[in-house]
Amino acid sequence: MPRAIRGVLVECDPSIKSIIVKIDSEDHAFIVEDLDNQTLVIKENMLAILKMRLDEALKETQQPPSDSGSE
Amino acid sequence: MAVSTLASFEYLEQLSGTTFQKLYRQPSTALAIFRRMLPHLGRASFAKKSNATGSLVPGLLLTLRRQRDEALSLLSRLYIVHITARTRDDPQVVSLTKGFRSSLQLALTGGGNHQSFGVPSSDSATADVDLHYLDEYARAQWEGILHYVVSSVGEGMHQASQGPTSAVKQLLKAGSLVTSGAHSGITQAGFSFLLQEVNAQVWTLLLLWIKNAEQMEMDSVDVLSFLFMLGSLELGRAYSTTTLSESQRQMLKYLVDFGLVYIPRSTPNQFFPTRLSTTLTSDATALRSVAAGFDAVNTSATGTKGFIIIETNYRLYAYTTSPLQIAVLALFTKLTTRYPNMVAGRITRESIYRAISHGITSDQVISYLSTHAHPQLLKSSAAHGGGPVLPPTVVDQIRLWQIENERMKATSGFLFKEFESQKEYDACVKYADAIGVLVWKSDPKRMFFVSRVEQLRDYLKSRKTK
Repeated sequence: MPRAIRGVLVECDPSIKSIIVKIDSEDHAFIVEDLDNQTLVIKENMLAILKMRLDEALKETQQPPSDSGSE
Repeated sequence: MAVSTLASFEYLEQLSGTTFQKLYRQPSTALAIFRRMLPHLGRASFAKKSNATGSLVPGLLLTLRRQRDEALSLLSRLYIVHITARTRDDPQVVSLTKGFRSSLQLALTGGGNHQSFGVPSSDSATADVDLHYLDEYARAQWEGILHYVVSSVGEGMHQASQGPTSAVKQLLKAGSLVTSGAHSGITQAGFSFLLQEVNAQVWTLLLLWIKNAEQMEMDSVDVLSFLFMLGSLELGRAYSTTTLSESQRQMLKYLVDFGLVYIPRSTPNQFFPTRLSTTLTSDATALRSVAAGFDAVNTSATGTKGFIIIETNYRLYAYTTSPLQIAVLALFTKLTTRYPNMVAGRITRESIYRAISHGITSDQVISYLSTHAHPQLLKSSAAHGGGPVLPPTVVDQIRLWQIENERMKATSGFLFKEFESQKEYDACVKYADAIGVLVWKSDPKRMFFVSRVEQLRDYLKSRKTK
């Protein structure tokens, strides 16, 4: 009999996925199953927290381009 | 599957079989659901017929078969049809469930004495209640609610209006469309609510109310069948409240707050359904007639239907004085100037980011802009041989801004793994794909991900017993 596991399927770029793996490596609180380099399954209740952590991580590495043109 | 995505049917799908049996005892409910489900029924039977003749291209046949399976699985979730499991010896048999069939027959032939289509009031109708008055009343009530939802954003533009009753405000808070307290304001759910079509908005609010009603210990079957009855009533006609049950009469009070029914003060035992309620269960074409009905009323207040001009440099001009429309625009535009008859602003990266962070999608923004495009934009697109209404640069940029912000796509559901054999895996994947729940699969790993699990679980059980 196959097993069914509840979770959230996350599809993203390989670069984003590696950040998620890095976030998870601290306390393994997010990832349920690492599927391939663009997909993984995470715990359902952790999605919002993961999104927040991801945004934080991205803020450190990225410079938001400024809007051109005047009002 | 545009119909099945509607919130009303998502709610219905969660109900139990016994609830459906009770619901289908009312002919009006059976008829309402039948009307709404007609595209699916049609698809199911069409696919069957074309299957028999076999004259279609194989590729098309496959799509049709897939659509039929999806339609059938939806119909069985709503307990409209009963499907026997496919076995080696017997072909699959599909039949209407007994309760549904008999009620539908009653509804179509008009037999029986069930009063489920409402009882017209025998008292003389109040003279001043005509269609125009009802439309005006429904519009005022509904805009009051919408405005309350949006007011926290469009601060400063908020004009004094009486707003909805406290019961409605409570409901909006309970459904977390707005929040109160220190961070009072609109929520993500509230944003998407605002950009929905009127009919979808009405259902969203009604479903919220039904969920709350369960806590108030009202019979959800009673409440639902009353809603479906409302959908079959005639606009501009007075109906009697005396034949309603106790919980239905209680409900009437809230429906008045929503603007779904009107009760004249002089004759409290009759009620008039408004356009909002008579189109509850009709299909998409009738939705437009709601909008058309409102537009007729709106023209005096807000001018023509299209009022937004957007230029290739992201500047936006909206010829409107309606605080509601300005507030909606302010959700995704950086408004800079307000003139007596128009507002001007720009669509910027930040304004779109803000909108997206509140849960508005780029498609919602684009569709809002194009449905409310100024006639001048329509005219120039027609002059260029029917090109796009909005400047393509702006549309593309809005989409790009969204993609930039969407780092991952999340789908909740179930991961299946540890299959005993390749054969078992293949069969399950095929079945999941056929009923339209398969999201992701990996053949080498023998794993797949589905958005729904109930039917697959039954399928696995039936395989086991075989």
